[in-house]
Amino acid sequence: MSGGDGLRILVVEDEALIALELQCLLEDLGYVIAGVASSSAEAIELGRATAPDIALVDIHLIDGPTGIEVARMLSRDPRTSVVFMTANDKRIPADFAGALGVIAKPYSERAVAGALRYVATIRAGGQPVSDGSDGFRPASQDVAEDAYWARKPGAGPGP
Amino acid sequence: MMGSNNKQVSAELRPVGNASVDATMFAMAFDASPTPMVVTDPRLADNPIVWVNDAFLNLTGYARAELQGRNCRLLQGPDSDPRTVDAIRDAMRRQAPVEVELCNYRKDGSSFWNAMTISPVRNDAGELIYYYAAQADMTGKHALELALQGTNDELERQVHEQTADLRAALEEKTALLHEVDHRVKNNLQVISSLVLLKARRTPQGEARDALQGMAERIGALSMVHRMLYSAGDVSRFNLEEFADDFMSDLTAGIDPARTAVTAEIDPISLPAAIAAPLALMLHELATNAVRHAFPDDREGRVSISARRCDTGLRLLIEDDGIGRKAAPPNPAGFGCSLVEMVVKQLRGVITWHEPGAGTRVEIVIPLHAESSRPGTTAPREVALGQAG
Repeated sequence: MSGGDGLRILVVEDEALIALELQCLLEDLGYVIAGVASSSAEAIELGRATAPDIALVDIHLIDGPTGIEVARMLSRDPRTSVVFMTANDKRIPADFAGALGVIAKPYSERAVAGALRYVATIRAGGQPVSDGSDGFRPASQDVAEDAYWARKPGAGPGP
Repeated sequence: MMGSNNKQVSAELRPVGNASVDATMFAMAFDASPTPMVVTDPRLADNPIVWVNDAFLNLTGYARAELQGRNCRLLQGPDSDPRTVDAIRDAMRRQAPVEVELCNYRKDGSSFWNAMTISPVRNDAGELIYYYAAQADMTGKHALELALQGTNDELERQVHEQTADLRAALEEKTALLHEVDHRVKNNLQVISSLVLLKARRTPQGEARDALQGMAERIGALSMVHRMLYSAGDVSRFNLEEFADDFMSDLTAGIDPARTAVTAEIDPISLPAAIAAPLALMLHELATNAVRHAFPDDREGRVSISARRCDTGLRLLIEDDGIGRKAAPPNPAGFGCSLVEMVVKQLRGVITWHEPGAGTRVEIVIPLHAESSRPGTTAPREVALGQAG
């Protein structure tokens, strides 16, 4: 499998087994691992040092639910696109903390591949199409049925 | 005109029938009454008390001599409400009757609640000559009212307290549900990663296929868990929503020109408790058809349908492939017994048809009458005993 075009991905995940398997999966898909971080400090430091193309960010890290702040910091660098990867998407704020979307855990290979295609299309300046799977939800998608979510009318994906 | 001779009242006595009555009789009756009574003379300076009965003396603790020339305000004290006193004064100014309750004081300084009816008394000429007031001691009633009010306040406080407790407990439970949900999903991810990591390190062959197959089964269960609790109703599960995603996963790795997969799934709302076994079963049957019915570049179609029927849910998985008997026994073997176990667990009936070419599996799962109706909160267990 390929198609990742060598995009460099930072994995922010505190669960070692998940991080390791995710690395293998991403490499299978043709991506390059820029680094793996398990705490917010590590993630921000690696982000600064490697300026990855994409960061996959879990919300619960070793130092607590700090993934939101990590996403905010990493997405400040215009070179980096952030995607959440979490089993607890209720914690994500209405503005997605600068992230382009969220991959729901437990994820399928198809959801990860679809999300990364979506991000790559946006980075290439194209018009992304989400395949409508429940495994990946772009930030622009309104979710009205859940009170935890504030509606984001017209808020498109970030740069 | 204020001379004492004017106070001679020549009111007409109006007996019932021919009874003989005189003024003395009234004096005796009023004196003996247990209701405290007082008469004042507004034509004398400061409207002094001119007559009281014994009951009034008993109530107030004063002797007749002590009341001579005194105004009734001698009964007032610090807790006498000035607004009530004003109301009495106002009625007297208008020479109108008035009923009030006022905190009064006895001679010994103790207080009592005095409910009084004050009426102006006029002579034949219509001139005001007396005020007559009857009293009643309402202290007991007031104490009761206060006690009741206190009880009400206390009850209200307790209700508020319990409501706040319940709300806090509910918030705690909701947070706990989210936490547990999060952990279940995270653990599924860990298990899946664990199996996939082992598969990656296993040489190509039977063992690796088995591990991959397990990872896919975990994936089917994971899909269910992603959907449970994601919308409002935690006790229900929408089969159609699941099927959409399931179909995407199923067809992801196959060539649509070679294998056509169609699905007709009714939007059936099912109890959350049967979601996982149902997903596992669908996964086995559909994956088996797609993977094993068409060996050696054989072309064909797979159709999946899930429909509401009289007794519950009717699932049909059909393919026009090589048929079960022709397929290599090993990989399908475990899948089939898994399906039969799950059907048994769901109290369903499974029928394998071999219509010459291909395989046709029909499964009927009994459901509660209301459990497939969206928007109802049915029990979380599937109905028992309707079939099988």
